[in-house]
Amino acid sequence: MRWTNIDREEKHGLPEPDRLLLWKDLLLELRRRESLLAMFFFGALLLFIFHFALDVRPEKAADMAPGLLWLAVVFCGTLGLMQLFQAERENRCLEALLLSPIDRAVIFVSKVFFNLILMVMLEIVIFPLFWVLFNLTAWDRLPMIFLYGLLGTVGFCVVGTLFSALTLGARGREILLPLLLLPMLIPVVLATIRGIEIVLQAGDFSEALPWLHLLIGFDVIFSTAGILVFEWIVEP
Amino acid sequence: MGPWGFVWLAYGIVWAAIVLYLVGLKSRMRKAHARLSQLKSKEGTDKHAT
Amino acid sequence: MTEIEQKRRPGKILGVLALLSVAAGLYFALIKAPPDAYQGEVQRIMYIHIPSILTAYLSFFIVFVGSCLYLWKRERRDDILAYAAAEIGVLFTALTIVEGSIWGKPTWGVWWTWDARLTLTALLLMIFVGYLMLRSLIEDPERAAVSGAVLGIIGFLDIPLIHMSVYWWRTLHQPPSILRPDKAPWDNVHPSMLIALAINFIAFLLLYFYLLSLRIRVGETEERIRTKTLEGAA
Repeated sequence: MRWTNIDREEKHGLPEPDRLLLWKDLLLELRRRESLLAMFFFGALLLFIFHFALDVRPEKAADMAPGLLWLAVVFCGTLGLMQLFQAERENRCLEALLLSPIDRAVIFVSKVFFNLILMVMLEIVIFPLFWVLFNLTAWDRLPMIFLYGLLGTVGFCVVGTLFSALTLGARGREILLPLLLLPMLIPVVLATIRGIEIVLQAGDFSEALPWLHLLIGFDVIFSTAGILVFEWIVEP
Repeated sequence: MGPWGFVWLAYGIVWAAIVLYLVGLKSRMRKAHARLSQLKSKEGTDKHAT
Repeated sequence: MTEIEQKRRPGKILGVLALLSVAAGLYFALIKAPPDAYQGEVQRIMYIHIPSILTAYLSFFIVFVGSCLYLWKRERRDDILAYAAAEIGVLFTALTIVEGSIWGKPTWGVWWTWDARLTLTALLLMIFVGYLMLRSLIEDPERAAVSGAVLGIIGFLDIPLIHMSVYWWRTLHQPPSILRPDKAPWDNVHPSMLIALAINFIAFLLLYFYLLSLRIRVGETEERIRTKTLEGAA
């Protein structure tokens, strides 16, 4: 697979930095497949467990579906976040990255995109699996549902990447990261689930619109904040 | 529990908590001052020694 | 008067003022103000509940300001301010939840409901408890301060969004419930009730600033200890 040279910016003789960083991360992941496989299996497992634990009957499946789906995505995503800066911590890669002329914000953006790609891949498997397990039918509404899912995932990735970097080197990081992250993500969780719910029940789409706006607003605000703030987080 | 019971419960918990925090702060302050003067006097003796 | 005693004088005055106004507030809340027409005596809890939550919001705003200043100028005192405000903010938020719950039991019959206000306050508490945890779990003090500042800013930015989402969740396509916790807790406002509220609000503010000043002094002293220890080791 070749990256084309169409819009490459030559920065100090390096090719466009964040494409390169992203490609490095993706390559690592494709070869080791640590995060991705763990997330897939955990997601599928969660869906099964939800079904048993909550005794989801067919009549209620459509009601509970969005919440359970998004819960599964969030928990799997948190798993992936733990690993996010793992490669950099080994062999002091992070310091090397920071010493290079690459803008810190670029590191942030590339990490967010990497995480986003992982999660979208997860969702491409989980959503249909979910559809089948919960006997849902509304196939024509799937695009709208993907839209909400995507916007929600972006919000998750932006804040998640920030917090993943923030908690590097903190003791008890496995608990601390979800503990910090989940309350912050309430707007995303609520907006995504409620939006999907309304779309699924073929409700009046204007009701779902405020949630869409909230998601977009959240994504914009925290992407901007993340880009501005990231350089301070990773300072060695 | 009658209505006044709830009132006393609420007020009681609130003021107890605030007083406890205050006491905790003062104790922390005392310990910090003690440690600081200990360090200061150590500094003084070190200076005399050199 | 020694230097330390001179520095403590405004703090002591503030403490005395706080104590006096708290006493006045208690008198007005518990004795002078009449019971509410609908809620009865239980409404008196509002005289501490409303000042509590307002003080908590003020505190988190101070965390935000302190965090911004610290990231900008890297002066220790801004970080000490943020940490102090977060600690006291957590205290007042927790108290707000307890007061709200106790008020809720006789009013709505339950210790907890998932209404917008209680849920929001609980989320606020979680975010700032997270702040305290993050600060205490990072070893390096410089990094802890910077990370805390970033979290303080991000957390504060999220609050309006959390507000909106939780309120919409609780009001959009929700059947009108018999519990109307967003209704103001009184209809006919007797003037002495307003006075009681005002006095208690002032009392809480004074008390808050007194506690804050104490906590900042503790932080400054501990900072001096840290510097001296480093000097000694050098």
